[in-house]
Amino acid sequence: MAGSLDGVRVLDLAGGSFGYAGRLLAGLGAEVIKVEPPGGDALRRWPPFPSDQPDPETGARHLHLDAAKQSVVVDLDQPEGCDLLRRLVSEADVVLESFAPRYLAERDLDYDRLIEVRPDLVMASVTHFGQDGPYAGYLGGEIVDLALGGYLKLTGDADREPVKPYDDLILQHAALHATVAVMGGLMRRDATGEGDHFDVCVMEAALTLGGGALQMYHANGHMHQRTGARLLSANPRYAYPSTIRPCRDGYVHAHSNNRHIDLLAVLMPGLGLEALLETPMANADAIDEAMDQWLADKDKTEAVRLAQELRLPFTEVFTPDEILSDPHLEERGFLVDLRHPEAPEGLKQPGAAATMTATSWRAERAPILGEHTEAILTDLLGMEAGDIEALRASGAVA
Amino acid sequence: MTRPLARYRVLELTNAVAGPVAGFVLADLGADVIKIEAPNGRTAQQSAPPPAVEGAPDRPWNRVPNFNELHRGKRHMGLDLSRPEGRGLFLRLVKLADVVLENFSPRVLGNLGIDYPQLREVKPDIILTSMPAFGKTGPYATRSSYGPGIDAMSGLSHLTGYADRGPGKPAQFYCDYHAGLTAAFTTMAALRHRDRTGEGQYIELSMLEGEMQIIAPAVMDVTMNGRVQSRIGNRHAWLAPQGVYRCAGGDRWVALCVETDEQWGHLARTIGHPQLAEAPDYATAEARRREHHDGIDRLIEAWTSQRSDYDAMHTLQAAGVPAGAVLDVHQILEDPHVKHRESLDWRYHPEAGNFPHTRLAWRARSGDHGVSGPAPLYGDGNAYAVQELLGEPAASLEALIEGGVLATEPRG
Repeated sequence: MAGSLDGVRVLDLAGGSFGYAGRLLAGLGAEVIKVEPPGGDALRRWPPFPSDQPDPETGARHLHLDAAKQSVVVDLDQPEGCDLLRRLVSEADVVLESFAPRYLAERDLDYDRLIEVRPDLVMASVTHFGQDGPYAGYLGGEIVDLALGGYLKLTGDADREPVKPYDDLILQHAALHATVAVMGGLMRRDATGEGDHFDVCVMEAALTLGGGALQMYHANGHMHQRTGARLLSANPRYAYPSTIRPCRDGYVHAHSNNRHIDLLAVLMPGLGLEALLETPMANADAIDEAMDQWLADKDKTEAVRLAQELRLPFTEVFTPDEILSDPHLEERGFLVDLRHPEAPEGLKQPGAAATMTATSWRAERAPILGEHTEAILTDLLGMEAGDIEALRASGAVA
Repeated sequence: MTRPLARYRVLELTNAVAGPVAGFVLADLGADVIKIEAPNGRTAQQSAPPPAVEGAPDRPWNRVPNFNELHRGKRHMGLDLSRPEGRGLFLRLVKLADVVLENFSPRVLGNLGIDYPQLREVKPDIILTSMPAFGKTGPYATRSSYGPGIDAMSGLSHLTGYADRGPGKPAQFYCDYHAGLTAAFTTMAALRHRDRTGEGQYIELSMLEGEMQIIAPAVMDVTMNGRVQSRIGNRHAWLAPQGVYRCAGGDRWVALCVETDEQWGHLARTIGHPQLAEAPDYATAEARRREHHDGIDRLIEAWTSQRSDYDAMHTLQAAGVPAGAVLDVHQILEDPHVKHRESLDWRYHPEAGNFPHTRLAWRARSGDHGVSGPAPLYGDGNAYAVQELLGEPAASLEALIEGGVLATEPRG
């Protein structure tokens, strides 16, 4: 089966967790060439590793986010390396990059220079604060970008400091925006023959996740507070619960059926819920207490089964080990072992982001550092063995 | 300006958040998106809407802030698909569409008689994008869930929150936005494939499987090391210090993360403890993280609590330390960087007035960025669909409204 992005070549210079964008494009069938600095992208040095032994080939993040890519090592601190990148761009449709603003311009590799060799280039530059503006020169990162984008203030408990979500959620979310931008750029190029350059900003990706909090404040002055695992509303008649509560063997996510709010009282009879559900949001604490009584002697799978039978959208709070053995994901074949020669056998990772009936998802392992340097310089750029050797000797490629 | 998707039409059969996000991304990119809503499709409104602008009719359903944010740039139809005439009208529109986008629970399309085989009969190259919570196969296929319930099953709830409290969740509707963006770019990829081959297809986007792309390190750590990761609050898995620190003036905070040993020196000097910049037992991230994090946090907070959030950020940034004020929505509306980049795209809505949309997270060299228009009025696409697209006379439109097949305001 064909990939939906067959024939699209992407140079991926986006580092760390921004590599998610290239991984998604590779999944859809694009030929994604990861252009790494000598020693490899920082992503290769981030844990976890098998048996906690750092190894640039076997880190979980690299194995996941670089899956189905090729690897070429190019030193952009050498003029020969910059020349080589220009030649690669002349053969590419898309460039992804995440250098600090001005890094590429200092090397004559910014969009204006690159369209001299590839006039219809589609390029996405992902940075914490964008290419210009008062904070463009500031240092960013996951927690800093979440803070300035307003998403951190909304996450966590009201009586505690704001708390960040797991890991690099917002950096990967910005990469998702970059993926959408690039797909739009390719569609626009198909229609007009013109390329485009996208200035993607992580702080703005965080802003988009406000879920209407900003619009609500603008509209009626209501300032959304941190509400922990709860979804809360100022409207006392609005549906509740949407929260997480303890049960016998862990935690359950409890949610109302928003069309039939009284169903919760059917699931949990004899606890006075009928009256509380007249104004559910005003009685959130009392509803939690009633649910805790009902949940105390039930395992999460049992509680969820009973609730779902009544069309109450309860779910289990799964831990990572439970996910690995989950029968649903197993039956769907979602977690895949991509058989990397240096990684442990049976190592499973998330697979296709979507199932498409007419086009395939590329499930291939991540590349060894520099694994494709020789092939790409030879086959794509038509370089002679001697020239490649000279570049290797100077360290411009590896 | 040529928006990338200007030549495509999308029929959006969605509710909640994930489906509307996918639709507004396609609308922002220029597609003609028609949101189709059942006349009795609204659940209770989340909040009191703002007053109507002067001279506009008082129709509160047209002024719901979150609905308007999620439906910018679309048209709107109130259409009863459970009626044979409604289904017939819809299938005639499918012939003129490129994409049908839906996020109902798994059995609904079949019950309405508009599942993929039936759509393909009237439009062989149609692209149908479905966004079920868990996929349409497997033991959980028949379960229902909103985004926060998927956060629970993906592992994100277990991994998010304070180390000394129970599972948390990323605020608001993260899962829905992740799924919506993923649905949008896979739909575009399918359009590209169709343009090249003439072949349409069915896309099934499991919201659970989309979100699990984010928690790969935790799942793989189980196999790699037998380790079950859990919540670590605002700490970083290997850098230090990282945290959120109280500033002067109530619920005010600054976040910072020291990414290099050099930055640690900058931080220690800035907060008035230069001896720690040189102290050998503070020299590595590992030592700071494992041995000294609590003490460092107290020293940082003693300094930040004497300053405003913005002062702390600017001072730390000037010293070379990554730091950001933890902005609330009021501060965001006033923030100079947000204003400079026009991160909020203000559009005038005829009944709700001037409205700040959060545009997608990029500016384009071509200028083709931002939202493509304000949110629709309820039913403003009825006439467009029936008269302009299907070429029916005004009398047909009136009869459809009269007969309750089309709605001009929500019922029930």
